[in-house]
Amino acid sequence: MHQSGQQHQLLRRELLAALLLGAGAAPAAAAQLQLPPIIAPPTSQHLVGKVIFQELVTPDLARARQFYGSLLGWTFRDLAAGELAYAEVILGDRAIGGLFQRNMPAGEHRQSAWLTYIAALDTDATVRTALQHGAKLLFGPRSFADRGREAVLADPQGAVFAVLASSSGDPPDLLAEPGEWIWNSLITRDPDTAAGFYQTLFDYEVYPAPTAAGPDHLVLASDGYARASVNPPPAARPDLYPHWLNYVRVDDAASMATRAAALGGRILVPPRPTSRGGAIALAADPLGAPFGLLQWSTTDTTAGAQ
Amino acid sequence: MSARPRRRLAVAGAGLLLLLVFGCVVPGGYEGTYVGYYEPSGFSHGGWGSGYDVGPWRGGGFPRRRAFVGGSQAFRPAPPGHPMPSIPSRARSPGPARGPRR
Repeated sequence: MHQSGQQHQLLRRELLAALLLGAGAAPAAAAQLQLPPIIAPPTSQHLVGKVIFQELVTPDLARARQFYGSLLGWTFRDLAAGELAYAEVILGDRAIGGLFQRNMPAGEHRQSAWLTYIAALDTDATVRTALQHGAKLLFGPRSFADRGREAVLADPQGAVFAVLASSSGDPPDLLAEPGEWIWNSLITRDPDTAAGFYQTLFDYEVYPAPTAAGPDHLVLASDGYARASVNPPPAARPDLYPHWLNYVRVDDAASMATRAAALGGRILVPPRPTSRGGAIALAADPLGAPFGLLQWSTTDTTAGAQ
Repeated sequence: MSARPRRRLAVAGAGLLLLLVFGCVVPGGYEGTYVGYYEPSGFSHGGWGSGYDVGPWRGGGFPRRRAFVGGSQAFRPAPPGHPMPSIPSRARSPGPARGPRR
């Protein structure tokens, strides 16, 4: 009986040691994941407040690759470190985002999402300001050699976003090509307060944009370009969780939405004309991550004031 | 101190150590190792009613027919003389790739 007790105790110690070893090894393995720069060759410009990168966290990297590759013509470059798997999203010759595999937390009811990265000059200073104004720090700040220093925050209303001081500079302000990210929206319960928060962080110019038929919204701009809209939740979804949405430029929103559904996605908002010409739709990938499809023509000059 | 309380203390200490190692775990699914974010589920996107407008304004500037008269002091509206800008419109230069294929 006494010998059995000693063995039991020894086993427990071994288990504890193994657990501690495993816990210590995980961050070390993660540290080996060499995240690529967001732009190559590097630029010398920093466009504070510009949305410069999007990253999807998904429980099924292979399925996400298949979906987005078939839908948008994206290709992927695999990176891995230990159990971590990451795919750089390539459109043509440019990296435009990343897919990161992470198992869905057991017992938690959560869904896959794209994370919006906003350019900053000094991530730490931006984080400090954000925290002083009611944000919560969820990750970092942490430096990744080639990418830069980043942090993930939840704004005071709960919408999650990332801040990145890119090591390689920021992508230039050029018209997005089909398949590239073109626009961003923050859906939040108090747009005015949210606009003030992000203005404090990124020195945005804030433009009220009244509409005739729908709720007013705001537009955040920097360096002479619109960067994002800030909208209240739709009337039919007053309790919608505050979140950022990102839109990919497409040539034909209707056909792309149909294709997204055929590939296993869902249509959340059917294609509809925008008041500014073109069309817009909201879809979810097969794992539930929402993203927008924005049909944006360079020749369409419809610009009816609302 | 008997062996049992000491073991309990050791286990508690180990637990504390684990908590420190994984101290970056926060609700929402982030890990100290790398960003791993899942949004809360249980709410449905969509439901955009008529006139729900999220898109960018198309070039030429927003006419801003009426001044912003909201009572909100939450943000500084852009100066009245500044027309609302659109998204970048300059096309990428044709020809060779701007960056190496990676």
